[in-house]
Amino acid sequence: MSALIECYPGQSLFHRLDPRAKIVFLLLFTTVIFIIQHIYLVVAVLLIVIALWGIARLPLRSLGGYFKMLSGILVFLFVVQATLYPGKVILIGPIIPSSVPLIGGKGNITEEGILFGFFITARLLTMILILPLVSMTTPIDRLTLGLVRLGLPYQLAYITTTALNQVAVLKAEAGVIMDAQRLRAFSTFEKGNPVAKMKAYPLLVTPLVIGAMHRAQLVAIAMESRGFGAKGERVYIEDIAMKPSDWVFIALSVLCCLAVLLANFLS
Amino acid sequence: MNTKEPYIIISNMSYRYSDAKHYALEELNFTIDKGEFVVILGEHLAGKSTFCQILNGVIPNFKGGEMKGSVIVGGLNTQEVSVAEMAQKVGMVLQDPAVQLFTTKVINEVAFGPENLCLNVDEILERVRWALQVVGLAGFEERSPTSLSGGQQQRLVIAAALAMWPEVLVLDEPTSQLDPIGTIEIFSLVQELNKKYNMTIVIATHASEEAAQFADRILILHQHRLIAQGAPQEIYQNTKLLEQVNIPSPQVSRLATYLEERSLRFPEFPITIEQARKGIEQLVRRSENCGLQPSKRRA
Amino acid sequence: MRASAIKAESLSYVYQPHSVIALDEVSFEVGKGEFVAIIGQNGAGKTTLLENIAGLLKPTRGKVLVEDLDTNQCTVAELSMRVGLVLQNPDQQLFTQTVEEEIAFGPRNLKLHDSEVASCVEEVIAKLDLGRFRQEFPLALSIGDRARVVIASVLAMQPHIILLDEPTMGQDYRGRRQTMDIARQLHQEGHTIVIATHHMDLVAEYSRRVIVLCQGKILLDDTPAVVFSQPEVLLRTHIAPPQITQLTQSLPPSLGFSRDALTVVELGEEVLDKVNRRESITKKQKPRKLEIQADLPKQIPRKEYPNKRSVL
Repeated sequence: MSALIECYPGQSLFHRLDPRAKIVFLLLFTTVIFIIQHIYLVVAVLLIVIALWGIARLPLRSLGGYFKMLSGILVFLFVVQATLYPGKVILIGPIIPSSVPLIGGKGNITEEGILFGFFITARLLTMILILPLVSMTTPIDRLTLGLVRLGLPYQLAYITTTALNQVAVLKAEAGVIMDAQRLRAFSTFEKGNPVAKMKAYPLLVTPLVIGAMHRAQLVAIAMESRGFGAKGERVYIEDIAMKPSDWVFIALSVLCCLAVLLANFLS
Repeated sequence: MNTKEPYIIISNMSYRYSDAKHYALEELNFTIDKGEFVVILGEHLAGKSTFCQILNGVIPNFKGGEMKGSVIVGGLNTQEVSVAEMAQKVGMVLQDPAVQLFTTKVINEVAFGPENLCLNVDEILERVRWALQVVGLAGFEERSPTSLSGGQQQRLVIAAALAMWPEVLVLDEPTSQLDPIGTIEIFSLVQELNKKYNMTIVIATHASEEAAQFADRILILHQHRLIAQGAPQEIYQNTKLLEQVNIPSPQVSRLATYLEERSLRFPEFPITIEQARKGIEQLVRRSENCGLQPSKRRA
Repeated sequence: MRASAIKAESLSYVYQPHSVIALDEVSFEVGKGEFVAIIGQNGAGKTTLLENIAGLLKPTRGKVLVEDLDTNQCTVAELSMRVGLVLQNPDQQLFTQTVEEEIAFGPRNLKLHDSEVASCVEEVIAKLDLGRFRQEFPLALSIGDRARVVIASVLAMQPHIILLDEPTMGQDYRGRRQTMDIARQLHQEGHTIVIATHHMDLVAEYSRRVIVLCQGKILLDDTPAVVFSQPEVLLRTHIAPPQITQLTQSLPPSLGFSRDALTVVELGEEVLDKVNRRESITKKQKPRKLEIQADLPKQIPRKEYPNKRSVL
């Protein structure tokens, strides 16, 4: 089990962008996603992100793993939002019977609630898709360098990219743990209903987290032993340079975001 | 080969992890000379990993805890100097290559350490080229570390440590995850570093056969203490001790013990295949030319 | 003819997305009650093979039959009652809060009655001497104990076939011995054991059949004696015979030693034979006694080896 997951190799336009351009894109779109309020705008951004996945020729099936793990959370979020949102058009009556003390009579599933549920879920989904777009097309060390050249101190940049990398590492670890569970006739994460999945998370999370902590310590020792954190201006044997295409991409990202924000505040 | 000047001096050293009740290492007192090839043996939890980490200052600087006594490596006191500074004297190799590879290209991996030291690019590249050539990975610069085999990955880790130009190389069970030939490759490489560059080597391992073959001196850790040290020949002959501390001898040594229990003694107690081969030849030929020596008869 | 436990027919497995061929038309059969070791370099395909047998991976081409069931047609859960797989890293196979819960996990998933689950758990705890760890948090135990808990958890599902992927890795001498003794005990109780490992001395001592993998193909499939007597072939897959076998192979042929002594005892007896026989010829002292000793079949204390070795 490697602590470093390879990015998905490729030569697409997206792959060849300078890491700084991709980081700027990531920051802009993530911010926009949190600002906009209208679901159709969220869907628009989602479609743009999916289009970029296509341009980068990343396989959507690689998302399957994420979904297996997160579908429980997504559905949970959806249900929570749908039932608790104070909407007016009641579609399904209270799911908590009025006979229950304190919270009886609450939990109406309203039309607005359902839409809000979709909105929240779609937002989360878009966020989940933007990150791998950058991390799977950029080797981790170039990403770190990109952050450094954008002004971040080296150690901070390194920690950021390592944290990002952990997502992929944990995904792979989770895969092995789930395999071990299948060997013990446990297939809730594949076939179970969302509620069962939620209940089963501790079985996945316990070994995952403990394994991660253990690995993190070893990685830290290995890094310290190679002078990580030594004082001085760190040197890099390879450097990055912005090309015209990078500037164009940044400009397009900015324009896109402005357009979406405008649409958001005008409607 | 061995210049016999103490390079690592451990005086009255005891160490306890924070929140731990017992000491992880107790009252260690010994020296390691420059250019020595030392192997640390010990069963699980005897303290081998802890010991490796006190040599480059990870303990106590990184892990905290309480340390008594002192550890001086190449004139530097590990408690007074940062780990980054110690890293230029002591290189460290751990068991699992996966946690020691941080980059996406072999060349970047080896350059990682010198880059941290803020050397200039030309010097870094020179060190990288030298290190890769020494470990036999020249030409692999653009490869991704994850595409290498286990043995190659460990060699890459060694190259990355070498790029720091250390005087000492500490390896904590470097071959546990490797296949038999991979194990021999690593030990041979490390021996070359020892003989050619006079690098002091400290290896904690379970591989008793390789230890017997390559070590100048063996240290045995048991229940947090150093209970024995000596040349491999002495150590492996002490079968009672090894049994008590759950350390296996090389099979050829066990053969000698087996025969000795049946009143047949090797002329010289073997710890390597070569010694055992000579011994068996002598025994058989001697029994052919009976009468030259009082051969031990079966009861 | 022995009943078949595992049968691989032209099994091939290719990892995507990079089209890495891990197994290439592998065919072999393991009979019920066998003790097989699988050896080969890192990346030769050992783990992939075991995962195919357990149904975790489905063959890209060809098929695997476990007790005559095609793994392609079965779920992993269905197969888990027949074949258990212990993966390399115990830390990835421990999920619950107590050892007892962990061992019960499998049987519970098989939807057994509570009483049946309890009896499975008790049986395994007794067998693997885990009584004092019952309420312990599995991931907090020492490496040897963690490995044992995983074996126990797989065993609790009562499979007939047990696959172990490098169960001795990272363990000290005592841990390795304990693990192999467990495997031997299970074998003596009738389980079919398949174990992938790098420790050749253990392979020589415990297993009766060795399959050698190299880059996804079977290089050799025979008894340990035959396999380890071919060091040049083994080198291709980064394997060296146990030290004692290497020793015997380094002896001059004129001395007449076999080239495939597998254990210390075996070679020791050979040496004693040679030394004593030569003595008896030249010294002519107590020849009767020595002759009788020379006539005795080789004193191999390994009861489980079926192959009779000829006395030289």
